[in-house]
Amino acid sequence: MASSKIPLLVERFDFIKLIQNVQENFDVFLPYQTEYDGKDNLSYKKYSGDNDFVLNKYRTIDPLKTLFYLTSESVLPPSAESRKRIVLGVKNCDLLALRIYDKALLEDNFVEPNYKIWRENTYIISSDCDDALQSCHCNLMEYTPYPQKDDGLFDLNLSQIDDKYIVTLGSKKGEKLLDLLYEHCNVKDAPEDILEKLTVQRDKVNKKLSEINKDFSAKRDYSKISKNQDVKVWSELSKECVECGGCTNICPSCYCIIVNDESVGADFKRIRTWDSCQLTGYAEVAGGGSPRERVWERFRNRYQCKFDFMKKNFSQYGCTGCGRCIAVCPAEIDQREVIKKLQEV
Amino acid sequence: MNSPNPFDVIKADVLNVIEESPQIKTFQLKLEKPLKFETGQFVELSVPGIGEAPFTPSSSHYQDPFEMDVSIMNAGFVTGKVHKVKAGDILGIRGPYGKGYPLDKFKGKDVLLLGGGVGLAPLRCLLLTLIHDIDDYKSITVCFGARSPEDMIYKNFFLEWDKIDKIHLMTCVDKIPDGEKWDGKVGVVPILLDDIKIDPKNAVSIVCGPPIMMKFGTFALVDKGFKDENIYLSMEKKMYCGFGQCRHCVIGEYYACKDGPVFSYDMIKGAEKIWE
Repeated sequence: MASSKIPLLVERFDFIKLIQNVQENFDVFLPYQTEYDGKDNLSYKKYSGDNDFVLNKYRTIDPLKTLFYLTSESVLPPSAESRKRIVLGVKNCDLLALRIYDKALLEDNFVEPNYKIWRENTYIISSDCDDALQSCHCNLMEYTPYPQKDDGLFDLNLSQIDDKYIVTLGSKKGEKLLDLLYEHCNVKDAPEDILEKLTVQRDKVNKKLSEINKDFSAKRDYSKISKNQDVKVWSELSKECVECGGCTNICPSCYCIIVNDESVGADFKRIRTWDSCQLTGYAEVAGGGSPRERVWERFRNRYQCKFDFMKKNFSQYGCTGCGRCIAVCPAEIDQREVIKKLQEV
Repeated sequence: MNSPNPFDVIKADVLNVIEESPQIKTFQLKLEKPLKFETGQFVELSVPGIGEAPFTPSSSHYQDPFEMDVSIMNAGFVTGKVHKVKAGDILGIRGPYGKGYPLDKFKGKDVLLLGGGVGLAPLRCLLLTLIHDIDDYKSITVCFGARSPEDMIYKNFFLEWDKIDKIHLMTCVDKIPDGEKWDGKVGVVPILLDDIKIDPKNAVSIVCGPPIMMKFGTFALVDKGFKDENIYLSMEKKMYCGFGQCRHCVIGEYYACKDGPVFSYDMIKGAEKIWE
């Protein structure tokens, strides 16, 4: 029976037992250190006995959508697997983006078949960031580097203090995870001194984010993006863009896709694959017409989509401040700088 | 709860293929399951294993829901493949998607259809639907244009439509190449508006055609005195999915597939580059 007395406390070594013991029924995904790009990055990997996973620190390099809305999937017939999964170490920036996906893909009349399968069969155990990357800027989007229960997006959350996890319940679905926790681990109520440590830790990471983003302000007038139609301004902002589409592929909120058919013998499969509004042919129709032929038009579209259209469509900006688009850009275009410059013109 | 897969298709037998013009063919389909739509809505038609593309049916929405006509111009990859399809072949169809023409707002009014090229396809669907309920409308003015006489589709119906009392049909072609015959007007579609006999202030107009024609057609209607909110445009955008998940068709905050494809001019006037 799941206790309603929370937050709880569990030792890290003890928690590992849970992961090991649920292997038969669940695929478990966790962030691991990877030396991608010569830096210490984190990336989701399926658990296979390696206990060096990292639940704290900061976001992974790969957005959460890689586990819910795969790069390329067959939608007819749906290729998603209904095996139960637990994804651990999900950070708030990815959770908030999932809310956009839920609104876009699970609408009553048209439910995306794969997303529904992945989503329904996955438990999310989120965790706090206790550090930040130079590109991190959730604070500028007025979000926190740890999830808020009111958002209702995580099932359980783990806040790491030294070698312990403070456990909070986030959803009804999370109760099943709590049952598993009680079954496999030694669970205690989190004592006051540990909870105080958490407050200190959260203050510290908030301060770090403020320091990283000290040149930028959260008080930004996003209406300047759509209002500004000055070719010169946008051409200047986008002049380094090489149209690789990296910013949209790495973005946890971007979900644009193309749909193609593939022959399989006498039958066929319908495949949906990520697409990017930054690429030339994106909006081109038969006959060659395109509303956004030039780089600056496509560049501007991305900002409009995130800070105007999506806000109207989903009551939420299409940016959660994860900063992956900044980290990935080969032209070193910094979204924060772009918005700052737009405030000044 | 199991939701139906929105990418799933209904099998459609091709009963007949009509060559309307050198570039446009009408495919008469017999569907395995009924597909009921409202005029102005669109469907995704697929060549199995090749791909799909959005089209608006050209038959009336009052037609037997197991039957549908779709007129298609050979303009790109999928349409090129569709044009190779023959009677007896099988296509896939899914839909309907989007919002149709707001017929309630047309009732009791003078209705003007302004169309060019393959844009006559959705307008034929609308016209046939309007004819079905002809008593509901004050009058119907039909202004159809094409590049040349041989590019003008549905010519065989013109006489029949023109015989209906409430219908005033006018047609024009951009030019008459050597060896082709044409008795009507010569010029681009907006010139037909010079001869309309209705009061634009209380009339509604529906525009469908190539982007350039829609642009100048709309400007001409505004000049004539049609109100922005009474000009309805069928917007052609890249609609991969049809239900707001691929995002390719967004016009500002709107999805052409969900909020359109029919928009009143005042809704999208402010958006950028709507004519391209």
